[in-house]
Amino acid sequence: MRFHSAESIPEALGLLADHGNEIQLLAGGTDVMIQLQRGEIASDFLLHLERIDSLKSLSSQNGHINLGALITHRRLSADKDLSEKLKALTEASRTVGGWQTQEVGTIVGNIANASPAADTIPPLLVGNTVVHLASSSGERAQALEKFIVGRRQTTRGPDELITSLDVEPLSDGSGEIYLKVGPRSAMEVALVGLAVRLSLNSDDTVTDARIAVCSVAPVAYRCGEAEQALIGSDLGDQAVGEAGHLLTNSAEPIDDARASARYRTRVLAPLLGRAIGICRERARAAQS
Amino acid sequence: MSAVGTRAKRSDGEAKVTGSAVYTVDFALPGELTARVLRSPVARGRIVKLDVTAAREIEGVWAVLTAEDAPRHRNGLAIKDQVLFASDRVLYEGEPIAVVAADNIEIADRAIDAIVLEIEEEEPVVDLDRAVEDDAPLVHPGWEAFEPAHTDFPRYRNVCAEMTSDPEGVDDAFEAAHIVVEGEYRAGRQYQAYLEPRGVVAEYESGRYTVHVSHQFPFNVRDRMASALGIKPSSIRVVGHHIGGGFGAKLDLGIEPYAALAARATGRPVKLVNDRTEDMLICQCREGAIVRIRTAVDEEGNLLARDMDVLLDSGAAGTDGPYLISIPLILAGAGYRVGPTRVRARTVYTNTAPTGAFRGVSGTHLVFAMERHLDEIANQLGMDRRELRLRNLQEDGDLLLNGQELPDASILREAFDAVEEIAPWSQAGKGENRGVGIASCVWLTNPLSGSVVMKVNEDGTVGLVTGATENGSGAVAMGVTQIAAAELGVTAEDVIVSFPDTDSSPYDAGSQGSRTTHIVGRAVTEAAAELREKIYEVAGRMMETSPADLEIIEGGHVGVKGSPGSQITLAEVATEATAAGQVLSATGSYRTASPKFDPTCATGLLFPVFPTPTYHVHQAEVEVDPVTGKVTVLRYVVAQEVGKVINPDGVMGQVQGGVAQGIGYALYENLSIGKDGRYRQRTLEAYRLPLAQDMPDVEAVLLEHPDPAGPYGAKGVAEPPIVPVAAAIVNAIVDAIGAPIDSIPVLPEHVLDAMDQASKRAEVRS
Amino acid sequence: MILSLVVNGRHVETEFPAGRTLLEFLREQMSLTGTKEGCVEGECGACTVLIDGRPIDSCLYAAHAAAGREVTTVEAVGGMYGLMTPLQKALVEAGGVQCGFCTPGFVMTLTALLDESPQPTRTEVQRALAGNICRCTGYSQIVQAVEEAIGAGE
Repeated sequence: MRFHSAESIPEALGLLADHGNEIQLLAGGTDVMIQLQRGEIASDFLLHLERIDSLKSLSSQNGHINLGALITHRRLSADKDLSEKLKALTEASRTVGGWQTQEVGTIVGNIANASPAADTIPPLLVGNTVVHLASSSGERAQALEKFIVGRRQTTRGPDELITSLDVEPLSDGSGEIYLKVGPRSAMEVALVGLAVRLSLNSDDTVTDARIAVCSVAPVAYRCGEAEQALIGSDLGDQAVGEAGHLLTNSAEPIDDARASARYRTRVLAPLLGRAIGICRERARAAQS
Repeated sequence: MSAVGTRAKRSDGEAKVTGSAVYTVDFALPGELTARVLRSPVARGRIVKLDVTAAREIEGVWAVLTAEDAPRHRNGLAIKDQVLFASDRVLYEGEPIAVVAADNIEIADRAIDAIVLEIEEEEPVVDLDRAVEDDAPLVHPGWEAFEPAHTDFPRYRNVCAEMTSDPEGVDDAFEAAHIVVEGEYRAGRQYQAYLEPRGVVAEYESGRYTVHVSHQFPFNVRDRMASALGIKPSSIRVVGHHIGGGFGAKLDLGIEPYAALAARATGRPVKLVNDRTEDMLICQCREGAIVRIRTAVDEEGNLLARDMDVLLDSGAAGTDGPYLISIPLILAGAGYRVGPTRVRARTVYTNTAPTGAFRGVSGTHLVFAMERHLDEIANQLGMDRRELRLRNLQEDGDLLLNGQELPDASILREAFDAVEEIAPWSQAGKGENRGVGIASCVWLTNPLSGSVVMKVNEDGTVGLVTGATENGSGAVAMGVTQIAAAELGVTAEDVIVSFPDTDSSPYDAGSQGSRTTHIVGRAVTEAAAELREKIYEVAGRMMETSPADLEIIEGGHVGVKGSPGSQITLAEVATEATAAGQVLSATGSYRTASPKFDPTCATGLLFPVFPTPTYHVHQAEVEVDPVTGKVTVLRYVVAQEVGKVINPDGVMGQVQGGVAQGIGYALYENLSIGKDGRYRQRTLEAYRLPLAQDMPDVEAVLLEHPDPAGPYGAKGVAEPPIVPVAAAIVNAIVDAIGAPIDSIPVLPEHVLDAMDQASKRAEVRS
Repeated sequence: MILSLVVNGRHVETEFPAGRTLLEFLREQMSLTGTKEGCVEGECGACTVLIDGRPIDSCLYAAHAAAGREVTTVEAVGGMYGLMTPLQKALVEAGGVQCGFCTPGFVMTLTALLDESPQPTRTEVQRALAGNICRCTGYSQIVQAVEEAIGAGE
């Protein structure tokens, strides 16, 4: 077993270029260490990234918020400004494990791990997130929706490092929410996670609707049909009902030790109804 | 001021809060090896190949033991139906097949992987109703030859034990009834989930084993291990360490013999610690149960007669099941007058991990069933649920169904009143999606023997040597310690209690059944009475006064009655005694006398009475989220009868901790079994324990009715707080949603299912 | 490989295998057994230690990831071995300790909380404890202990 703490992006990229196939990247390690101990992944080379300061940046540029790859759940949720601009993502980050997990666990780590139940992914999807990757041969960017291709599968090449995310912040007249379903008040792997972002104009007509869910399919996804049912509506019962119906039909959940597929399907429509109600309140409050 | 009834720092508190307390998982001996156990990965099958050759050849492996290397006779708590290692057939997932001892855990795990094991799988017996059918495959084809550990009892095929009581008048009462209410109630298993997994460090020297454990009942480890290994109990020394929680799971023999056999085979100390998944499998979690009840009721809501059938899932071994099946008979007629009652209770073999003791054994699911049933009766009569209960309450002198008299049964009415005063029923649980539930229980204080040796040290401190265990409850670190302090007029800090050691400690029946403060505390008062006489004898000589004129004075002194100026210290007395070749020590022991009962009331009644009964009422208010089905406990009120509070924080800690475990049992802790006989939840991520945010502030009233036989009047405290919780919570949920739920745990999806079914029924009606 | 870090105020430089956890390092190499292993999956928090003052689950943290940093365990949270903070004293006095196996983890998380927010509300305390499981107490007396510790500090 080899363990190396990289101090810079070029150093990490150099090692990835030479040993990418053997390397397991390690940021906070909250997912990776469990998987190593359970034997779900095997690696003889852990490349530790937490010392790379340039991956800890947080900035606004070109109407996007750029989150460095080492932004932890705790850092995000403690940031008052971001708590407003990326409300759903912040809400989701606060539900990932306990304080100890949030302290070292990173948003990008969730993406790289691509768990079907990752709380942060639905909010990132409604923020039209773009993933920035670098390798020794160059850089590329890809929409998050395309980046995650399957359960625990992404398009990241073995020589690539995720460097940052671009997320669209909430605009005036928009509201968003992340709702998570689980029996306890915390420490749940989402039975269902739902992020909704709505933009309303002054007469309450929906100008944009984004809906994303996790834990109801192998991959968290945006539900375009349900979004279309809301856009242009004034969020009347019929439009909301139709969106709920379409979202329900799009789900392909499984039974597991935490909940049945039937339950996961059953809660989607009423949960969407609740999320829409909250988004509408938040959007109205945000209308300037 | 006496040390009893006041706040006192627990004697082990500083060690625990600074990390210096050594638990068995922290304990190490020079040169110790690490052991791991190969366990059956399947629930039922035939072992067609078991080859440990490759494992034995791995460098760093000291021993690989299988059934070939161990005694093959059967052992067990009530019925001898367990073997140390499976050799021919496996009967449950987790059954031991081999143990490896190696230099470290990595090598041990590699050796486990190197063992060649092939099992021809068979379809396991999992479903309880199926298991008791005449043509069900047998879990133990050789059941008839099994020997009881003590007395035998009715048993047949997959029915490990059966208790039946069929008094006269039941059928007549049913015929005369205004209505007959029927119900079927189900409860899942519950994992004790103590945070320290089971562990053991074993040594073997000159024909004797020394076994280091964090165990609630060291003498039972000694006796059960002796039986399992076929050796004398005195060939085993069991040494207790700090216990990282037990809740009943650390009462029976567990992994101890495997470490012991490995220590003997290697000549080195061997440490064996369960990993969490393994621990969940073999902890002997609380049994799942099906309870079917029919009750005959008249128009006014008087209960006329009852018929109850109980099935307990014992798993692949009997463990304590043959004792547990007596409890339905006792509880079916406890608290309320129920008329003649027929009870059949069976504990049933299945191809699943064996179940066993958990705080409030069996009471949790029986009270859930009976109190849900009372709500159903009230609903069918259109009667207020609390009113129905009050109408049927027992009075002082009423008899339990076993014929045992309850001289103080009216305490239960006082408990109902106490709850009403804090949270009036008519105002509770109001509002959309909200509901209130109430439930009561009668519980016992385990009567089994306890003993102590008590001495005064030369510095005036008091030493207690006992086999009693401090499982975390504070019964030793607070209760027994404070009683000893009060008895000799010293502070609790000046009482030093030994850890248990079966070589040197007098016997104790373990921290079970809420017994430690009551039984061991009483043993302390017995010892103290004798010790005081010895103190007075020596002090009288020193003070040139009659021992009869002396008394203990708070602050560690002995003085002349009515003469405050004339006193000497306990230290001076002890020093003088030592110099004179005397010993200031005394022994004390106690066992509660068995209450009278009617032995003809039932067959198979191995646990026939409820000594030192206590009375309790719980009331819960909940809110249900109609979107997700999630339940939030808004308010929780307890009235608990305790005899006498020895330490207020200690008692409240038991009440709040018990309620938390009850809320987990009712709402979160799902331990389900697949058709393959394996647990579906295998980690603490999937098996959800209550968190700080999930807990309401429990409001508790402690009712004191001192027991003349108890130390300062104390009765058992620790178990009752978990017993009625699921009943109160689920009754509140049902009140909130207006639809019945008769199975626990109540997960969010069960709430939505019940609501959906109710609205379907409403549609059909309209 | 060589691991160099500060543990409880003392500089430590020692050989320790790559890929193993900080919990294993503390318990096996440093004999600091106050930090407990409860689940090895970040559920129970019994293994909580502070790294540069922040609480983490040492069962899920690679030992070598802590290189160059300051690790504090329950044994020394009082500043010196054997000394207790007001929080630790309050936990003992208010009944916040029963079996004690979870206690070191609670001490560490609550220490970090009081460092960050000296007067937390009851809800803030409960939230901060999401990643710490106590099976014995039902949490009330732990929360009460925090309140007593805050009061004592005033």
